[in-house]
Amino acid sequence: MNNTPLLKINNLTVTYPLNSEGSDVLKALDNTSLKVNSGQIIGIVGESGAGKSTIGKAILGLLDPPAKLVSGEIRFLGNSLVGLSEAQFESLRGNQIGYIYQNPMTALNPVLTIGEQVIEAILANTTMTGKEAYNYAIQLLERADVSFAKDRLQKYPHQLSGGLCQRIVFAIAIAAKPKLIVADEPTTALDVTVQSSVLQTLIKLSQEEGIAIILITHDIGVVSETCDYVYVLRNGKHIEQGETVQVLEKPMQEYTRSLMASVPLIEKRLHRFALPNEGKIEGISSHLGYLQEERKEDFSSNKTILKVTNISKTFYTPSTLFKPKDAFQAVKNVSFSVNRGETVGIVGESGSGKSTIGRMILGLEDITEGNVIYKGKDINSIINSEDRLAHYLSIQCIFQDPYSSLNPRMTAGENITYGLKIHKLIDSKNAKSLAQDLMVLVGLQRQDADKLPQSFSGGERQRIGIARALGYRPDFIFCDEPTSALDVSVQANLLNLLKDLQEQFSLTLLFVSHDLAVIRQMCDRVIVMKDGEALENGSNENIFEQPKHAYTRSLLDAMPKFQGLAQY
Amino acid sequence: MIDYKKKLAPLSLQTKSIFSGHPIAIAGLIGFVMFVLIALLAPWIAPQNPYDLMVLDIMDGLLPPLSKLGNGTTSWLGTDAVGRDILSAVMYGLRLSLFVAFIATTVGSLIGVFLGLLAAVKGGWVESVIMRAVDLKVSFPGILLALMMLAIFGTGVDKIIYALIIGVWASKARLTRSSALSEMQKEYIDAAKISAIPNWRIMLKFLLPNSIAPVLVMIPMSLSGCIGAEATLSFLGVGVPITEPSLGLLIANGNDYLLSGKWWISIFPGVVLVSLVLCINVVADRIREHNNPFLKSMNMQ
Amino acid sequence: MIKYILKRLWHSGILAIVMSLIVFFGLYVVGDPVEMLSDDEFTEQDKIELAIELGLDKPLYEQYFTYTGGMLQGDFGTSFVYNRPVLDLIMERLPATLEISLLAMIIGLGIGIPLGIFSGIKNNSRASKIISFFTTVGYSTPNFWQAIILIMVFAVFLQWLPASGRGLTNSMFGIEWAWLSLNGLQHMALPAINLAIYKICMQQRLAKSGTQEILYQEYMTFARAKGITRNRIIRRHLLRNILIPIVTITGLEVGGLIAFSTVTETIFSWPGIGKLLLDSIHMIDRPVVVAYLILITLMFVFINFVVDVMYAFLDPRIRHQK
Repeated sequence: MNNTPLLKINNLTVTYPLNSEGSDVLKALDNTSLKVNSGQIIGIVGESGAGKSTIGKAILGLLDPPAKLVSGEIRFLGNSLVGLSEAQFESLRGNQIGYIYQNPMTALNPVLTIGEQVIEAILANTTMTGKEAYNYAIQLLERADVSFAKDRLQKYPHQLSGGLCQRIVFAIAIAAKPKLIVADEPTTALDVTVQSSVLQTLIKLSQEEGIAIILITHDIGVVSETCDYVYVLRNGKHIEQGETVQVLEKPMQEYTRSLMASVPLIEKRLHRFALPNEGKIEGISSHLGYLQEERKEDFSSNKTILKVTNISKTFYTPSTLFKPKDAFQAVKNVSFSVNRGETVGIVGESGSGKSTIGRMILGLEDITEGNVIYKGKDINSIINSEDRLAHYLSIQCIFQDPYSSLNPRMTAGENITYGLKIHKLIDSKNAKSLAQDLMVLVGLQRQDADKLPQSFSGGERQRIGIARALGYRPDFIFCDEPTSALDVSVQANLLNLLKDLQEQFSLTLLFVSHDLAVIRQMCDRVIVMKDGEALENGSNENIFEQPKHAYTRSLLDAMPKFQGLAQY
Repeated sequence: MIDYKKKLAPLSLQTKSIFSGHPIAIAGLIGFVMFVLIALLAPWIAPQNPYDLMVLDIMDGLLPPLSKLGNGTTSWLGTDAVGRDILSAVMYGLRLSLFVAFIATTVGSLIGVFLGLLAAVKGGWVESVIMRAVDLKVSFPGILLALMMLAIFGTGVDKIIYALIIGVWASKARLTRSSALSEMQKEYIDAAKISAIPNWRIMLKFLLPNSIAPVLVMIPMSLSGCIGAEATLSFLGVGVPITEPSLGLLIANGNDYLLSGKWWISIFPGVVLVSLVLCINVVADRIREHNNPFLKSMNMQ
Repeated sequence: MIKYILKRLWHSGILAIVMSLIVFFGLYVVGDPVEMLSDDEFTEQDKIELAIELGLDKPLYEQYFTYTGGMLQGDFGTSFVYNRPVLDLIMERLPATLEISLLAMIIGLGIGIPLGIFSGIKNNSRASKIISFFTTVGYSTPNFWQAIILIMVFAVFLQWLPASGRGLTNSMFGIEWAWLSLNGLQHMALPAINLAIYKICMQQRLAKSGTQEILYQEYMTFARAKGITRNRIIRRHLLRNILIPIVTITGLEVGGLIAFSTVTETIFSWPGIGKLLLDSIHMIDRPVVVAYLILITLMFVFINFVVDVMYAFLDPRIRHQK
């Protein structure tokens, strides 16, 4: 490695105006510096709002107004990139610096064929003629591990899978053999099983060409597997940097340490996430009695709270004049049972049918075949409206998307108590104080019950969702990927909270996730699903330490390995 | 970087952020409020009642602006053939035009929102029937449909309101349905369902307030559209009756005198009509722009 | 693709049938043509005979089938007022409407779309703001008012262009056209401009918002990141995508043009089908009104069909829909 670094960023500050006058600004980057040597793979990690993507855009001159580069310098091979004209950037982009987007499906133009888009990039950055470019495009696709390259050139993006599209984006990025590629969350939008192979393709290509990579990601596991050197960002400030192993396992900074402690591990199950400075939740007194009130039914004789036998779900699209009736079997003949007080996990990729099972249990979808027995009663045979209501209310759900799971036109408190008032579980006099108590119980401020959902962050909204579920005094909570939309540190806090509440209110949880590590940390027993079928069902230790099914093993192999903080 | 999902400020704050820094939109809003005030107060501030044939004097006919009338008062904007004071006629015409457009927009939007919600919630054949009717309506230009209606049912203030309502409801139904359908995908609706909250409450308390925003944004456009359509129909002689002239009919009346140099009879109502529609449209544009994140200062230098 | 076209065709057929039903029965409900055609000297017997002659004594559905049956053979009935076959009346006037509508369309697209794309790309520039302000004024001004102003300015004060009539016509393919002579073109100018102003404003606004929506897409940024020049991005990535909404709107706007030609033709005394419709409405010439509306409906149905097919050609996502 020679002495002039490939890319050097010094004290870069980028702002976004927060109001129309521009007097109030958000510092997306605040005095950030970094350095990339040629051929090096460096990682930039941080949670949302850390300014990771802004760095990438700044390097390529893609910061659009209202974003403003306020100060600092960016030097590429010693030449300053700050203040270059669009034309100067055009000759740099693609040619010297490539860019890879998070979501390949939106990065490719939907009305142009793959061939048009690859060849266009080749022609723009090389001296090749049309015919040469075509042949080179085939070659590039093959090198990016795209099979049937010739045919694929004729296709449109929507005809290919996300993984393939991302490989095509890689092919475009390396077309002119740039010296540096900025890869912004290149695998986040892809399914777990393809993530690692797609990432490996990128690494392979860059090594073949000696291309340096700036890998922007939130995924600590990915960083630990691929990067030589890593920078940690938070709120636009750069917190820590160093050799990957050093930063991830023996971080110097408090923030980095808590970030690393938040990463769910696949290797071993911990009782709780060991978070430093975890906020202590104060106790409540006035409504604790209401929330802990014993349900009338006595089922101590039967430990099983939920028994699912051979359930299937088939979705039909109605027939039309031009199309016969279409059937899609989302869940195929799945059986399992859940005991009181335990947490059962269902893990699988998108489309595996894991959420559909929950929706059937909740009564949001009809059951095509099979039966669900909850507390000794077949849920399909409850006709008595009072029983039906009692049944409904004792099964609650924590939803996936914090931005859509609360009614935006109701305050947090109203969201929590609206249904309780309708069902006369609480009178309007006490509703407000119950809502406040529940807010406290999930670690929020008492007075924030009067605020609308928009004034809360994603993690806080999930807590409000939990408070809403708790208000009904449920025995059973279906958790539908409750943390998949959250940052890793927020996730760790929320999962700790769930564990605490489970203990306090003796809740039974059915926990659905695509994230094996989260399942590993949360669940006592695990069901592995694929294409609507339950492939494997066993204890946490059995599934993660001695997987029987080949698919489970492939899932585990695809997981990036991160050992966690070194014990000190 | 900027989270658009979070944008849902209370109305007063929204109004401020819509208009602050947009002088043209502010001017439009002020102009519109002024026109509405004039229309509301017309019976008290107009120099004469142009509908009252007793006060009209044929001797005052076709006087240019600033003429003295027989009764000693000044006619600021002149008079028409039957001696009607143009200023008064414009005020009353404005009143009628705004009244017709307000009623048609309100009723049409209510019908549209109701049908759109119904289609989204009920699905099945109810949805099919409603949406096919919407397609039918949308594939046919409004002005032709109104002409057809008026050809069938005859003219009159009530008839023109019906004709305009027919023009308004369909796009509102389509918008409400699509926004309600996307709201129904959201998890807070599922949360309400699993808590056994009755369907009608879900519809009123959850679905309606969250799916109505796109319709509200379109309402100013509908209002100005109705004003323009009513004026056009009245101008063509198939709108309001001759005894209660709206702005469009006033322009039509004056049109015959334009070539003989008596410009004031149609120019004044025309200027008021254009200003009114323009005021509403600049406000409407600003509101739409504000509600569309795509239009936020994107610039490719 | 073929399935998609068949499906659209099926929808179009249903639309045409429903519209013809609405128009026919809608107009049947009101007005008694017998009363209108008869004068004071008619006896009850004369009236009944007249009704029989017009086929009005038969049940409604039979009248509908007789009517649509005749229609399929090109028989749209006879005008009460002109006492001539309706189809002849309409066909005679159709070229006049078509020529000003087409001219207006060409002007509207030719000016409106480039202006819109320009102001979409240069959203914050002064020029864009001025253009947008003028188009807002333009579409806020009712068509008939624009017509009055045009006549005042160009016909009365400046006396550059004639304000009414179609002027000299020449024959081409056995049809009389105005655009073949200078005099005819001069007569066409004001009505066509009148129709075009609204078009220009509409197209500018649509093209502008379409452009901005596309500029916001990630594939536009990615195209820049690929190192492609700005001109090429606009030519290839922007225009290809923006064509989709523009084709849709343009198709629908053809209908709008024909509809607004009723207003324009009336003011400029342009002898087209729009003026015919309005005159017929005033004179309650029912066969003409019904025939006009049914023909226009068929035309809209056809245009919608063409637009849907074009859409599929332009957007591969629809083309490959199963």
